[in-house]
Amino acid sequence: MGVALGKLPGIVERFPGGAMAITRLDAAINLARSNSLWPLMFGTKCCAIEMLMATGASHHDLARFGAEVARASVRQADLMVIAGAIVKKMAPRMRLLYEQMAEPRYVIATGSCAISGGPFMYNSYTVVRGADEVVPVDVYVPGCPPRPEAFFWGLLTLQRMIREGETIREPGIRRKPVMAALPEDVSLHEIRAEIRAALANENVIDVTQAANQKPWARKVREWIQRASLR
Amino acid sequence: MDPESLLALVETEHPSIRRRSHADRPAVSVPSGELLAVMTTLRDHADLRFDLLLTLTAVDFPGEDRFELLYRLYSTVHGLWLIVSSDVPRSRPVAPSVSSLWPIAEWQEREAYDLMGVLYDNHPDLRRVFLEDDWVGYPLRKDYQDEYMLELPK
Repeated sequence: MGVALGKLPGIVERFPGGAMAITRLDAAINLARSNSLWPLMFGTKCCAIEMLMATGASHHDLARFGAEVARASVRQADLMVIAGAIVKKMAPRMRLLYEQMAEPRYVIATGSCAISGGPFMYNSYTVVRGADEVVPVDVYVPGCPPRPEAFFWGLLTLQRMIREGETIREPGIRRKPVMAALPEDVSLHEIRAEIRAALANENVIDVTQAANQKPWARKVREWIQRASLR
Repeated sequence: MDPESLLALVETEHPSIRRRSHADRPAVSVPSGELLAVMTTLRDHADLRFDLLLTLTAVDFPGEDRFELLYRLYSTVHGLWLIVSSDVPRSRPVAPSVSSLWPIAEWQEREAYDLMGVLYDNHPDLRRVFLEDDWVGYPLRKDYQDEYMLELPK
């Protein structure tokens, strides 16, 4: 299978009987959009250390998901990662940045502060209770701050939402916001171990055993058996 | 100079000050009317030379109807520490600015004005520094309220 059939599911669909048809341009567009998210260099608090610095560095490597091109200008960015609390002084400025971004634009809110105000929810004179009071949020990533794995979980969720979401006929109509919480007790090391085990299971064979299971090998074995009996 | 002789020297220069106990550094309390004169002495006296203003802040005591202004001084010449405090009434929190003695006080007094509402006399540029210019009230006062704040449910 080539690129179109193997790597781009949903563009080409098979009908029963063997015919195939190119279904939706939206699928190709959404695929391109989901794999080229350019985040805005915008961090308001400690979450930014995890979200934009730790994930961008080599160990976790945001580039694997096509989202490493952090732009310093809103005009070139299409993903805003709200990493940290928004204070009243920042809120209108953040709104301005959001409105300057080109459509389609996506927003991920990471950490307790950006989701609800977090520890500053009560008795705070300045912290806005949740970034969604200012801009519409697509994916919430809980944590205080979330680990880079959790942020990747949120990013992959956003990519899936983009792939399933908007159409060119109705721009701006997309899936509802979701909370993308990493399942409990999942760390990068466990994910790596799982992938390693899966690769070992899928990619390694016992050559002798596999060779003996071939039907033509059985035929030859029968010949040898017959010759030895004679 | 040991703390005892430091305090004694300051007391002989300005008899109106009071010593404060329960402080980890030598600490004195000054009437707000004499604050500028005391500070000038502390900075310029040959045996004191407090040339570094480390912190300038204000503490709100709503029950006692006063703001306590705190100045932490250090002498890089003699290696001395001194905490100077001064009370101003909460209803009329006016204090002399020390920005003519230590230029860094200009910004720190703006901060105290911004968050506590202490008014500094003869300050060259007393504007808000952190909050926006149209902010109403002084949020670090204990009785500050606005309509956006949420009370912690019991």
